[in-house]
Amino acid sequence: MVKKWRQQMKRWMAEKLELPADIMMDLPRITMVGQIHIYIENHRGLLTFSDKELRLLLRNGQLLVRGEQFIIKTILPEEILLEGKISQVVYIEEEKK
Amino acid sequence: MKNEWVDTLAGSVRVKAEGKGTERLINACVRNGIAVWNVKKHSRDTATFFIKLSDVKRLRHIARQSECKLSFVGRTGLPFFWRRAWRNSGFWLGLLVFIAIVFLLSNIVWNIDIEGATPETEHQMARELKRMGVERGAFQFLLDDPETLQKKLTERIDDITWVGVQWEGTSLHFRVVEKEIPEPKQPVPPRHLVAKKEAVVADLFVEEGQPLVSVNDYVQKGQLLVSGIIGAEGRTKFVPATGKVFGETWYKSTVVLPLETTFHVLTGKSIERHSIGIGRFSLPVWGWKKPPFAHTVIEREKRPFRFWKWDLPLYYERVIVREAEAVKRSYTWEEAFAEAKKIARRELRAKLPEEAAIRGEKVLHQRKESGKVRVELHYEVIENIAVPQPIVQGD
Repeated sequence: MVKKWRQQMKRWMAEKLELPADIMMDLPRITMVGQIHIYIENHRGLLTFSDKELRLLLRNGQLLVRGEQFIIKTILPEEILLEGKISQVVYIEEEKK
Repeated sequence: MKNEWVDTLAGSVRVKAEGKGTERLINACVRNGIAVWNVKKHSRDTATFFIKLSDVKRLRHIARQSECKLSFVGRTGLPFFWRRAWRNSGFWLGLLVFIAIVFLLSNIVWNIDIEGATPETEHQMARELKRMGVERGAFQFLLDDPETLQKKLTERIDDITWVGVQWEGTSLHFRVVEKEIPEPKQPVPPRHLVAKKEAVVADLFVEEGQPLVSVNDYVQKGQLLVSGIIGAEGRTKFVPATGKVFGETWYKSTVVLPLETTFHVLTGKSIERHSIGIGRFSLPVWGWKKPPFAHTVIEREKRPFRFWKWDLPLYYERVIVREAEAVKRSYTWEEAFAEAKKIARRELRAKLPEEAAIRGEKVLHQRKESGKVRVELHYEVIENIAVPQPIVQGD
């Protein structure tokens, strides 16, 4: 109850005060350069990685990137730069409890 | 982001992780602050990635808690390059040869420039220098030091009044001041000739002026000998008096000579020793022989080695050990007196001008003291006693 209320409060502030949503609500910021680069900030860790798939843990849910010839160019605690031929970026939402 | 250059300089290694949960391993690395890059998955259970060389130790800690087997498959960067180079004997040889060459070239005379000399003098100097071993390509430590060079050059070349010798890095710099040919005489102002000291006039030679003394006149110091005022009364003319007035002058000298003296004389035999040293310690290079001389005079000459443009603490030393001999000289009384007279004459000669002549010598006193002779002598000398004195025209 309190959690939900706080979430709504934050969303309201982001809208009214024009604060960046990714900072206020702890959302990932994803930057893509065509098909070849994807840069994800604010992730919560690596789940699976292969040359065709990258699965990242987010604050609520997961991010799935599909493609070919994947290489993680850089990985830092909250940032990741992926290189390859990207075909899909999919959000997997956590089931509501 | 990260800087590729820094990684290259610091060195990086490629890690191969095998086993389940390679992703977890990477997560753990990242959380512990190990930078990871170029992660590649080769199959389901193998991944490779790069980490910094300085992070390898920390990675071991983390790896122990994971289920992966780690192996290092590649090394890049400067530290590894250095290690390879270090083991390479060719690299060492090259470095050594390079240092040796620079060292050798630093100790060579590269240039000799002569400044301020006319072409003829310059040529003469170059020839003289060559004879002393100073030429392009000669080793610096085998040459004489600048002071000696300076002395030798001034002695051997007549046209030089002064020569400055200076090292400027690997080049030897000579600054020459040549003798100037005297300029034509300037017109002499009117003057008299007066006596330098008391004397009896022995001869007169007057080119211009009115002689006021004649032969056998006794003159005192400062007395007018040749007047610069000529012509009859009322129609006088001022001229610069020139000429020579030879007068008989007298000198007295005393010589004391001991009958027996011992002194050291070099016999001409010598041994040379060469060594290379640092500080007080010196290593002989050539000449280990012990000199078979009883009495020696030792000459030392130190010359620092140079590297690039600096003097090294290393130096080259040449020691010349010369044989000396103690000579005892003893005179009989007669010999001592004769010798004393000779000495007195020599001393007087050195004091007198070139054209003066010693005409007579008289022994005033001759005494024997404890082991010494004492001789007092009187000389008659004929010399030019005329000195110019300008005429002050009171107007």
